[in-house]
Amino acid sequence: MSLPRTNPLLNDRDVDFQLYEVRDATWLCTLPTFAEHSRETFSLLLDSTRRLAREVFYPTYRPMDSEPPVLREGRVHVHPLMRKLYPQMVELGLAAATRPVEVGGQQLPLTVHSVASAYLMAANLSAYAYLGLSLGAAHLLEAFGSPWLRDTFMSRLYSGEWTGTMALTEPQAGSSLADVRTRASPAPDGSWRISGSKIFISGGDQDFTENVVHLTLARPEGAPPGTRGLSLFAVPARRPEGERWVDNDVRVAGLIHKIGWKGIPSLALNYGERGDCHGWLVGEPGRGLTQMFQMMNEARIMVGLNAVATASAAYHEALLYAQERPQGRPASVRDAAQPQCFIIEHPDVRRMLLRQKAIVEGGLGLLVEASWQADVAEHGHSEEQRARARWVLDLLTPVAKTFPAEKGFEANALAVQIHGGYGYSSEYLPEAWLRDQKLNTIHEGTSGIQGLDLLGRKVMAGGGEALKAFAQEVGSTVERARRAGVDPKWCEELGRALGEVVALTGELGAAGATGQVERMLMHSADYLELFSVLAVAWQWLAQAAAASEGLARGGEGRDFYDGKLLAAQYWFHTELPRVGPLVALCRSGEDSYVRMRPEFF
Amino acid sequence: MVDVPVSCRSREYPLFKEKDVKILVTAKRVEDPESKIKVKPDGSDIVREGLKYKINPFDEIGVEEGLRLVAKHGGEVVVVSIGGKEVQEQLRHALAMGAQRAVWVNHTGALDQMGVAGLLQKVVEKEKPDLVVLGKQSIDDDQNQVGQYLAEYLGWGQATFASKVESLESEQEKSKTPALQVGADGKTVQVVREVDNGLATLECQLPAVVTTDLRLNLPRYASLPGIMKAKSKPIEELTPEKLGVDVTPKVQVVKLASPPERKAGIKVPDVATLVDKLRNEAKVV
Repeated sequence: MSLPRTNPLLNDRDVDFQLYEVRDATWLCTLPTFAEHSRETFSLLLDSTRRLAREVFYPTYRPMDSEPPVLREGRVHVHPLMRKLYPQMVELGLAAATRPVEVGGQQLPLTVHSVASAYLMAANLSAYAYLGLSLGAAHLLEAFGSPWLRDTFMSRLYSGEWTGTMALTEPQAGSSLADVRTRASPAPDGSWRISGSKIFISGGDQDFTENVVHLTLARPEGAPPGTRGLSLFAVPARRPEGERWVDNDVRVAGLIHKIGWKGIPSLALNYGERGDCHGWLVGEPGRGLTQMFQMMNEARIMVGLNAVATASAAYHEALLYAQERPQGRPASVRDAAQPQCFIIEHPDVRRMLLRQKAIVEGGLGLLVEASWQADVAEHGHSEEQRARARWVLDLLTPVAKTFPAEKGFEANALAVQIHGGYGYSSEYLPEAWLRDQKLNTIHEGTSGIQGLDLLGRKVMAGGGEALKAFAQEVGSTVERARRAGVDPKWCEELGRALGEVVALTGELGAAGATGQVERMLMHSADYLELFSVLAVAWQWLAQAAAASEGLARGGEGRDFYDGKLLAAQYWFHTELPRVGPLVALCRSGEDSYVRMRPEFF
Repeated sequence: MVDVPVSCRSREYPLFKEKDVKILVTAKRVEDPESKIKVKPDGSDIVREGLKYKINPFDEIGVEEGLRLVAKHGGEVVVVSIGGKEVQEQLRHALAMGAQRAVWVNHTGALDQMGVAGLLQKVVEKEKPDLVVLGKQSIDDDQNQVGQYLAEYLGWGQATFASKVESLESEQEKSKTPALQVGADGKTVQVVREVDNGLATLECQLPAVVTTDLRLNLPRYASLPGIMKAKSKPIEELTPEKLGVDVTPKVQVVKLASPPERKAGIKVPDVATLVDKLRNEAKVV
């Protein structure tokens, strides 16, 4: 059963608010790289993308979820709808949108590209994923590839002729890439022969373009063990040989039966079973992982966005349902002869909806912020501006990846809950988004790895420079909120929470510096949770400030701002108070699971 | 299906070029139907604040058809809109879809259908297109008059409610072939139009006025490269004074009101009561 009103996927008003009221996206157009853009170009692109998402992509979501790809005679056959969907994303210009004009791009700020992409992710995340992966592969070739590699592979990825993948994971080397075993041996013609096995390769084969290029991590003969021995290779499914394209000995060894993201296959691939798999070195030998990590911020921002988008689609679905589903009567009405009310009139349903709103819109704020910092980090006016943005971006990335994935899963579960028994059936969509969301805490670095990255690396970076830059950003938001007349208690509480986190970070850093690394990282998961609560409170304070400014301007549209202020209040009253206990926990040295030995379970 | 070839009146202007077609399309700025529209308490207007605007969807179909015809025959699509400077947004959108240039008639006051048709007539006389394509109506006032008035003012043939034979899921639609067929000699246009009992095919001599129905095509989305190209495409500014048109409205809006809310129905106990109510209350049987 479908509801008469359609799911907007993301709230357009909120997207405009994030871009033009919380911050001013037209400022980005003062950066020389983005000088050709204006609010007009942003609006036209957003308009096209949201229409493509709502009119074309969203109706294809369920069919693609219901009919996953199949492996037949060594080839993967994906849903035939992809033949229509992929070219439409490419025609819209989304493939090379943020890239320089020289490679066929339009130099669009990532900030705008992110929110535009979020609509497509919310509509049909698997269909978008083919493009997202191809962009990642093309970007690596653009940054590190030789002119020949750029001509042969990159240009075809940006033009949408082929798709690309990131082939890192192996059965014995997932999170632990140091253990990658795929080998590369030099061939007389200057290319390499690749042999080995990869697993969980998303989009590793499909039948809607003629070729797939795998950006593959492999260990050249004689290279040292560990990550320093890894190099990056471009390995196409079909390789050029004179005028012809021939099979390149990359075999699909198996197809993973996933519980979500069912529109895109996840594959086991075998390279070089016949000894005839050619690869081309991308960049410098031994720098494969380093090069990949240079793209990591962007890849993790994409996962965070996906998580926000998946939670957003479910939130809007639940909101529509709650406004149209009659059940029960308000507590004050005892008379069963009275008509039933819509469930949104029950306070507990509104509690669940407000929690979803706080997670979705707080998470979107975080992702727009991270994308903004990425734009400034790369294209800022001065080296000082760029360096500051890099610190903030590096620090925010694990938070912006993990918070929406972890809390988005909770928001997705609330959407199922609001649908009641119907939500627990496959007749309704929320169950599908719940399945999809789970992957976001796993791929591109699990939540556990993100916690270690944040505490072990990011907050300590530059001898405290990163944390200082972050604190300055929070400080200027607090100033703005004070001027806008936001509840001064929220400003004080956020300032105090920041102070506590900074102090704790100093202590943990000191423990690490004196060799107590285990002690330092013991509560990295709790630390990430703590930092997320703080960072999202920062975003909600920024939104509360912008909403107060909007209300002060007067006129219509008060409802939107009132809703923002109540969502901010929710965060400040129910989530920010968790900072104290979480700080205490991280400081306590509570060691139950550290001392727990395998045989005790 | 009715199939009636009808001959329309002869044309006044020579064709643009031997095979090229020059097409003038309209792009009226209308409220986005997804916005919540409320009438002001005094009934003088709707509440404009917070509304989103877009190209009238019927006009957007006109732009698309124009682009397809030009892709097939060569020529150019010129898009025109009337209104304050904000209508440049809609013009820019049409340019981003692929129209070559735009004409903006700068006018902020009230306009009735005769005023709009009068302004368009002058723009047509200036631009001398082979074909004018307009939405059959705009989704704000739903009047369905301007195309017909314009044809009358120009003394041209008209084919209203242009539709297509194939479904919008057909291969023809996917390959973006135009539904309007310009004759081999470039002197006529064949238009399939929707009528009460099916589809009728008209052949009109060019130049002609065509108005579009919803099932003519699926308009394209403006692409990012198209959006960037549109930035440098020219928008020519005209005014009613420059065009020499007196646009003083003959039709005045007295008051706007929302339709009355529908009252809940009732259940009747049996058929006899129903018949009684139909006969004596509703007086329909």
